[in-house]
Amino acid sequence: MASHPALASAVVYKDPKAALKFLEAAFGFELTLLIEDADGNLAHSQMSYGDSIVMIGNEWTEEHRSPTSIGGLMTQTVHIQVPDGQGSVDDHCARARRAGAVIIAEPETQFYGDRTYRCKDPEGHIWTVSQTVEVMTPAEWDAKDMGLKTTVHKG
Amino acid sequence: MASRVVVALRVKASPLRAFEAFTAEIGQWWKPNSLFAFTPRAPGVLSFDGHERLIETREGGKVFEVGRVSVWEPGVRLVLGWRQATFTPDMATEVEVTFEAVGEEETRVTVSHSGWDSVPTDHLAKHGFPETVFLARHGEWWRALLGAMREYLG
Repeated sequence: MASHPALASAVVYKDPKAALKFLEAAFGFELTLLIEDADGNLAHSQMSYGDSIVMIGNEWTEEHRSPTSIGGLMTQTVHIQVPDGQGSVDDHCARARRAGAVIIAEPETQFYGDRTYRCKDPEGHIWTVSQTVEVMTPAEWDAKDMGLKTTVHKG
Repeated sequence: MASRVVVALRVKASPLRAFEAFTAEIGQWWKPNSLFAFTPRAPGVLSFDGHERLIETREGGKVFEVGRVSVWEPGVRLVLGWRQATFTPDMATEVEVTFEAVGEEETRVTVSHSGWDSVPTDHLAKHGFPETVFLARHGEWWRALLGAMREYLG
C-alpha cells in the first residue's frame, strides 16, 4: 500500500463519516488514517485501494462543496480500476448496489476492451469503475469504426 | 474520548501473531520519536509488564509507566492508557488496538489514539501545533510504527 502516492484525489462530503462507511461497504476501500477534532468531527481521512489512496473530507471552505450542496454538479470524478484477481466488474457493481450506490450505467464491455459501469454515491459523486477484460492495442480499437484516431505519446 | 487519530494497515500474520508482536515483542520494532517522547530523558525500551501495563525502561533501569492495560484480548483487542511524564493528573489519552483477520495469514491492525483534547494546546507535549496538525503528526508516527511492525513481521 502506498501511503503517499504522488497523486491522490480529495473528495468532499457533507457527511464524510457516512462516506467512509459507504466507500468501505460499496467499493472495499480501507480506512488508513482518520483525524477527529475535540467535538468528534472528521478533520481529515485517507482510504486505500490497491496501491492508491483517496482522501475523504468535509466542506472545509466555501469553495469545497459536495454535489448534494450544489444541485448535483461536480467538476471531477474518480475512476476505479479493479485490479486483476480482485473479482469482476459485475461483482463490484453488485456490491456497490447492495451498499446503496445508484447505478447510472450498468456494466458493459466497451470497444477498447474494458468492462465498465458508473454509479453515484449517496451524496451524488459519480464513480467510474472498469477492468480490462480484453487487452487491445490502439490500432485494434481504432479499427472498430468508432471514428477515433489514437495517438500514444511515449513519455 | 474525543480528539482522536486512527491509523490502520495490513500485516502478513494471523491476528494472534500480530497481537503477540504488538505486545510481547514491542521493544523489537518500536522507534522513539523526539516530538512525542514519554520523558524528557533519553528514550528507553518499551515493554508490557505482564498484562498489566506498558512501561518504558531507561538505561540504568528506571521505569516510566506509560499506561495501564484495561482490555487484553489476545488476537482481538488491546486498550491501554497513554501518558507522558509532563501530563498533569487530569490529562489522559487512551490507545485502542484492534486486530481483524482480512485473509489467509493477513490481519488489519487499527490503532485509535483518543483523548488528546484533555491536553491543552499550549501544553509542551503539543509543540504549539494546532490540534488537528498535532494529530496528523502523531498519526504519521503511528503509521511509521505500524510500518515498522509490519516489516518486523516480514
